Amino acid sequence: MKAWLNFSPSIVSKTVISDLIKHYDVSFNILRADITPKGGKMLIDISGSEAEKGIQYLEKEGIQLNPIKKVVKKDEEKCMDCGECVSLCPVEAITIDEEWTVHLDDQKCIGCGFCTSSCPTKAIKIAD
Amino acid sequence: MKTIEEINQKIRDGDAVVVTASEMTRIVQENGAEEAAKEVDVVTTGTFGAMCSSGAFFNFGHSDPPIKMSHTYLNGVEAYSGLAAVDAYLGATQPHRNPDIGLDYGGAHLLEDLVRGKEIELVAEAYGTDCYPRTEVHTFISLESLNQAIMVNPRNCYQNYAAATNSTEETIYTYLGTLLPQMGNVGYSSAGELSPLLNDPYFQTIGVGTRIFLCGSQGYILGEGTQHATDGERENGVPVGSAGTLMLQGDLKKMDAKFLRGATMPKYGPTLYVGAGIPIPILNEEIAQRTGISDQDIHCNIYDYGVPRRSRPAVMETNYQELRSGKIEINGREVQTSPLSSLKKALEVAQELKSWIEKGNFFLTNPVQNIPNKGCTVKPLQIRRPSILVKDLKIKPVITARAEDDISGVARKMVDDNINHVPVVDHAGRLMGIVTSWDIAHAVAQDSKKLTEVMTKKVIVAMEDEPVELIARRIDKHEISGVPIVNRENRVRGMITAEDISRLICSQNNKEGDSQ
Ligand code: SF4
Ligand code: SF4
Repeated sequence: MKAWLNFSPSIVSKTVISDLIKHYDVSFNILRADITPKGGKMLIDISGSEAEKGIQYLEKEGIQLNPIKKVVKKDEEKCMDCGECVSLCPVEAITIDEEWTVHLDDQKCIGCGFCTSSCPTKAIKIAD
Repeated sequence: MKTIEEINQKIRDGDAVVVTASEMTRIVQENGAEEAAKEVDVVTTGTFGAMCSSGAFFNFGHSDPPIKMSHTYLNGVEAYSGLAAVDAYLGATQPHRNPDIGLDYGGAHLLEDLVRGKEIELVAEAYGTDCYPRTEVHTFISLESLNQAIMVNPRNCYQNYAAATNSTEETIYTYLGTLLPQMGNVGYSSAGELSPLLNDPYFQTIGVGTRIFLCGSQGYILGEGTQHATDGERENGVPVGSAGTLMLQGDLKKMDAKFLRGATMPKYGPTLYVGAGIPIPILNEEIAQRTGISDQDIHCNIYDYGVPRRSRPAVMETNYQELRSGKIEINGREVQTSPLSSLKKALEVAQELKSWIEKGNFFLTNPVQNIPNKGCTVKPLQIRRPSILVKDLKIKPVITARAEDDISGVARKMVDDNINHVPVVDHAGRLMGIVTSWDIAHAVAQDSKKLTEVMTKKVIVAMEDEPVELIARRIDKHEISGVPIVNRENRVRGMITAEDISRLICSQNNKEGDSQ
């Protein structure tokens, strides 16, 4: 599951994330992070047998968790399958298939916006 | 050996064997060129890429009272109307005249809107003449209402093209797309083995007048395009760089927006995606062999677009098989590639053209004339700024000495006016020689009294109408700090020093910096 974690300033200094990994059987991937002493947010991908428990632990520690749903949408009418966006995606959410059709996997997408700003026909929109 | 006429007869009879360039590559690989030449009559190629050098001529028709348009705007995009009264040429890369819209809607978008049948706002201005009294027009037009809308693209279908990466620390925005820092990705644009001019690399069948597929309609090749080049490096018979180009013409009224799209390269500008396909008649084995070229055999260089110069450094050579695999290794690191031209659409173009020929709706043509396949090179633009002449400089009034002046007087002049050179002149102000502070010191030491004894008689001078650059080089060459300026009568007009010149260069550079 992908989610934004919102930290309050009091939590930033704690070792919540390392404790999570120590105590639960989860695999944990930080996709983006923006943390300052004034709090911050972090985009994570969490999976594993104890993912649910891990999430409960995070919430108990005071981290607000916002799961990501659909973040980008490609307008198939506007898209001309040029592939300009493909190499810009940091998580390889955009791929070209055998027939050279460009696909966007919104499960993988982290909403960075690189593709939206680079598309020559403005075919990709971020939808929070 | 076949002729175009024979192939056309087969098309008429519904017997022609037509394959796409990708299919041909496999056929030649499997059966060899000799068999392929017997079996196949026509190979269709295709490309669908950003072709900036595109546009269209329009004829709007005459209003009453009539106008001779001198500035013309279509949906706010300026078209060039210095052509008779109601003709204009709209270029694909022209941005919107409103800077807030700017690059987001340009000539290319307008062309797509026209082809989609949309209504377009026409604004025109004129200075008014006796025969064309109207001075402005504000109305709406559509593709249908135009008398003519003829696409003429001065440079399309680049034979091959560079691939791009970016070594700098910042993302850059280019006509080859967005390039991530530290060579984080690669953009390329050729359709590879499907691309028209890679399948006929020596223009054996493609020529002036060749009928082609252009944006969903039947168009024609007008001839070689601008920047057509033939003599660059080749591998496996095909150029590794941009090389040959074509000038194309087609009827916008018959085009299909599926094969013509307005686009904006972010922070670069509008560009038109053009779908073009050229049929290649398989007249003999050699032509079959050439159309059998595969992505692997087509090489190109990846250049560092982080270096904003005409000659960018090549990072490495690659081929289209590698580029099309989606990933490529640069300096030991795997990075993703972006095709930029749509390979899917390129294939659609080749297939559409194939089906036209199979259905007997499209016939092949003999070229009216060949397109040059050697002897064409592209010259760079030399920047020559207008030279500044010596007489244009602001020169301080000159202090001179007369030949009969005594040395101590001249020494005092030098100290008082803080100068190091004094030209020595005769009664009419004509240059006789020059003395420097060093000459004076020397004279005092040797106790000589006459200026004419210590002065340098062979004086290096600047003429009033010489360019300053020339004087700079002269001063440098003779390792001197300044020269007297003389007119045609050899009369001294001033002094020019190395310092004056460096001050001039500084102020010029500042001026150029301001206007960028
Ligand atoms: S850049 Fe835009 S048009 Fe090109 S493939 Fe991606 S979404 Fe489609
Ligand atoms: S928004 Fe970012 S992560 Fe999502 S598809 Fe686009 S480039 Fe990939």
